[in-house]
Amino acid sequence: MHAMQRRTLLKLGIVSTAVLVVAGGVATLLQPGWQQDKLTPVAREVFSTVARAILEGTLPQDASGQKEALDGLLNRIDHSVTAFPPHVQAELSQLMGILSSNLGRRTLTGLVPAWNVATIPEVQDALQAMRLSRVALRQQTYHALHDLIGVAYFSDASTWPALGYPGPLTI
Amino acid sequence: MSSLHDPIREGLNRGWKVHGGPHRLVPAHIVCDVAIIGSGAGAGITAELLSRAGLNVVIVEEGPLKSSSDFNQKEAQAYPDLYQESAGRKTEDKAITILQGRCVGGSTTVNWTSSFRTPAKTLAHWQQHFGLADYTAEALAPYFQQAETRLNISPWLAQPNENNDLLQRGAAKLGITAATIARNVKGCWNLGSCGLGCPTNAKQSMLVTTIPAALDLGAILLVETRAEKFELANGKIQSLLCKAVKPNGTFVKSGSGSAKIVAKHYVLSGGAINSAALLLRSQAPDPHARLGIRTFLHPVVMSAAVMDQRIEAWAGAPQTIYTDHFLDTQPIDGPIGFKLEAPPLHPVIFASTVTGYGQQQAALLAQFPHTHVLLALLRDGFHAQAAGGRVKLRSDGSAVLDYPLTDFVMDGARRALLAMMEIQFAAGARQVLPMHEMARPYTTWAEAREAVAQLPMKPLLTKVVSAHVMGGCAMAGTEALGVVRPDGQHWQIENLSIHDGSLFPTSIGANPQLSIYGIVNRLAQGLVKRLTGQSLTLA
Repeated sequence: MHAMQRRTLLKLGIVSTAVLVVAGGVATLLQPGWQQDKLTPVAREVFSTVARAILEGTLPQDASGQKEALDGLLNRIDHSVTAFPPHVQAELSQLMGILSSNLGRRTLTGLVPAWNVATIPEVQDALQAMRLSRVALRQQTYHALHDLIGVAYFSDASTWPALGYPGPLTI
Repeated sequence: MSSLHDPIREGLNRGWKVHGGPHRLVPAHIVCDVAIIGSGAGAGITAELLSRAGLNVVIVEEGPLKSSSDFNQKEAQAYPDLYQESAGRKTEDKAITILQGRCVGGSTTVNWTSSFRTPAKTLAHWQQHFGLADYTAEALAPYFQQAETRLNISPWLAQPNENNDLLQRGAAKLGITAATIARNVKGCWNLGSCGLGCPTNAKQSMLVTTIPAALDLGAILLVETRAEKFELANGKIQSLLCKAVKPNGTFVKSGSGSAKIVAKHYVLSGGAINSAALLLRSQAPDPHARLGIRTFLHPVVMSAAVMDQRIEAWAGAPQTIYTDHFLDTQPIDGPIGFKLEAPPLHPVIFASTVTGYGQQQAALLAQFPHTHVLLALLRDGFHAQAAGGRVKLRSDGSAVLDYPLTDFVMDGARRALLAMMEIQFAAGARQVLPMHEMARPYTTWAEAREAVAQLPMKPLLTKVVSAHVMGGCAMAGTEALGVVRPDGQHWQIENLSIHDGSLFPTSIGANPQLSIYGIVNRLAQGLVKRLTGQSLTLA
């Protein structure tokens, strides 16, 4: 099973790379998702949409509260990624670059509508398919998005009331 | 920020020789008796003994020097500051997340203080399969005793927190014996923040014990400095090349902070994964292809229960109760066994561990104060199908561990999930969620048992983590079986010793810190004898 997964991953890698090169040219393929210690605007949009799907029920309900929470989250993702070693940053940049392109999004997540018009249920369906996919790369992408969003969101004290966590004791 | 005294800042004010990062400039050329790579469990014990023997010691640490004034008990600061890869180190296929320290004190600065001597059964296996004839419980006992005295290791006598007490109560209902864990603490405040750096200096980590002792004796400490490569010639290390790194591990571009260290002897204590990687980067001789293989993780699976009462698993000493029932009731080289413990929970670690998304995950997150978690440490390394992983180098020279989770290991993971869930239901759980992407919360043991029996136990579906990295530079009684000799000296490089968890030829089958302290204590005393003729003890 493990070996089969790897072969599938390799095949997907070759196919999706070929498709992306043909479709958008090398420039599109290499468009990074992380530049100058920040997510690129389009990578920010990807994270914002995925975060609304993952954190549904946790994010504030009102529009302005939710926007503020998402802005804070995206800034904390920037901060979190800055602390990662270069090889992780490079990998994440590549992943976000692929997810930001139409073909990359369709290939890797199966999501047809663009990030800025996809509904929460559509994104959640895509996440579920990735989560249970037989293709390791799709599962890895799910975990990267899930973990980075969870880690960055709950690293700030403003989010702790949702967990009923009082914060550390003052000593 | 802690308002308590800070022994590290006091030491710096006394004139400790600390270089790198915000401290003094790193000299470009350093000559010393012994260079020690790393500052964790193996490095600390070695540094204290060698310094007491009057040797000039240089300690090279990639991470920063942080201390109680910095430890604010917040994950947002602790993970980037104190852990390898910001607490996000992963195996090559990304199926296992590895928690490992990267700061002065290494993992001892951030561990949960659990202290066990190396189990006699593990030692017996080493004697039988790796030619380590003098690794008996009796022969090692005085060295463990000294480490226990030096680091104030004793069983935790205070009432366990509810998270741990549930393990005790649930196990008792099933007739399973649980016991109290010994901890390396002195005047512990029972805060529960051990994993984020002890803000009260109660934890007797290397940061507040052996490293300060060595610095007070004149040792030099380089921080934010990576040991990049040994220069080898004629079967000996000629020098160690070091480079300054930024907090995220990027090299400082200007090249400032680079150092060449020339020592009579070198002690590699970078911890499993990193120690093997340094030798790989140095193209160290490896005639029997042993370097980096058999790297073990004690792969961990978890089960989260929701209780009626508040648990507040973030508060109180973590991991004070354990059971070895599932290690002791079957042969060590049979189906993989596991140790059960109850870990502390904080928001970030909890949110990244809880599976799923949307309303379902929100409901689980909202139950955080009522959540009780058990973990199972799988004892890898005792069977051909649990041969661990292999350390490799990426193109940039950084280390990565390829660790295949075999069906044999994952069979143990399934049994572990079942065992934990049964204990949790016995302890009164309202619902239990095993950490698996296809599981959902179950409300009865019968339902949970049936569901988990059917789950595909595959990597990336089953949540697997590790906080115990061991092996990769195994010691063995014959050259063909190991990287180092039973006395810690490298089989092919005469002026190199390895003193850390990478020595272990299998996993330990218990939290490894005391195994490192005790075994390295003996190795370091032997090294002192070889280098100076003196007989010293740790305590």
